[in-house]
Amino acid sequence: MWMKDEDKLVEDVLQGKYSSFELLVQPYRKGFLNMAYRITGDREEAMEVCQDALLKIFKYLKSYKKGRSFKTWSYKVLMNTSYDFLKEKKKFKRVIDSQKSTSVYESSQIENKVWRKQMREKIQGMLDILTPKEKAVFLLRDNEGLSVKEASSVLGCSQISVRTHLSRARQKIITHFEKKHREMIREGKT
Amino acid sequence: MKCKKMRRLLPLLAGSELPESQIPPVRAHMEGCSRCQAEFEKYTVLVGQTREWLTESKIDWEEQEWQQSLRSAVNQVPQRKTALIPWPFPKAWAYALVAGAMLLLTLLVVQPPFVKQMGFWSESVDAAEMEEQEVVSMTMVSKETGLKIVWFFNKNFNLEENE
Repeated sequence: MWMKDEDKLVEDVLQGKYSSFELLVQPYRKGFLNMAYRITGDREEAMEVCQDALLKIFKYLKSYKKGRSFKTWSYKVLMNTSYDFLKEKKKFKRVIDSQKSTSVYESSQIENKVWRKQMREKIQGMLDILTPKEKAVFLLRDNEGLSVKEASSVLGCSQISVRTHLSRARQKIITHFEKKHREMIREGKT
Repeated sequence: MKCKKMRRLLPLLAGSELPESQIPPVRAHMEGCSRCQAEFEKYTVLVGQTREWLTESKIDWEEQEWQQSLRSAVNQVPQRKTALIPWPFPKAWAYALVAGAMLLLTLLVVQPPFVKQMGFWSESVDAAEMEEQEVVSMTMVSKETGLKIVWFFNKNFNLEENE
């Protein structure tokens, strides 16, 4: 969506045309949920965070400066809401509830369930070793496809800082997978 | 460029986050360094694989949940109150107008000396001033003859003799 279109929708919402709010946030519907899901590690909590973030976006829409990217502004609100949520719950470690987290979307097929569980474990494993900043940068770039510039805008830091954290995150992940791989070989031999 | 520095740049080159200006020296180094070349290939696989995993395991809202979230966002925030009087001018003008009206009202009530001097209000006869008056006169004129009689009273309203 073009910035001009977004500005028009923002204007409509501020004028009281609340149906425009859905059009405004619709493109980020999936992105918001997944971002919150990766940070909280739980689907229900992710939905709670998203709901809170949507409320804040609506409430503080008048503080959004026209001509800027609504995408980065809204992601910034989401990220802050997610980390506030974690702070509030004093929950810095991701908790995976395999039954609750994907029950709606998982196919009834057992094979698919097993595959998804393995996938989740892999992703969980690599996210757990990252610091909050590294995790945020990594997710914004690789999960949401934001550019370095957009990620720096969301996180309120320089592009150099984003690149540094991203590089460090990937180095940690590769070290993590190599370690896992070595462990698997060792276990296979014994 | 040294291999140590390359280790920081290779993850970014693999993910297409390296600035254009830094790509040629990195590529040049890799041509002569098989170890860094191998490292780069590892990162390329990693970036591709992680992005694939993240995409494949994405979740989505159920339509009902999404609509409910939107509704609660819109409804929980107090609705904007519509103005009683439509005001087409800037909001600051309205505040200035109200402030001016309040100042005027205060001046009317308090009536500081400088306002009295300006003479906006007619001075009413002060009761205290009346008491201080020593003599009051009353004049009677005859229509027929034009005779004029002037009576003088003192402050106790006793008739004083005209000298």
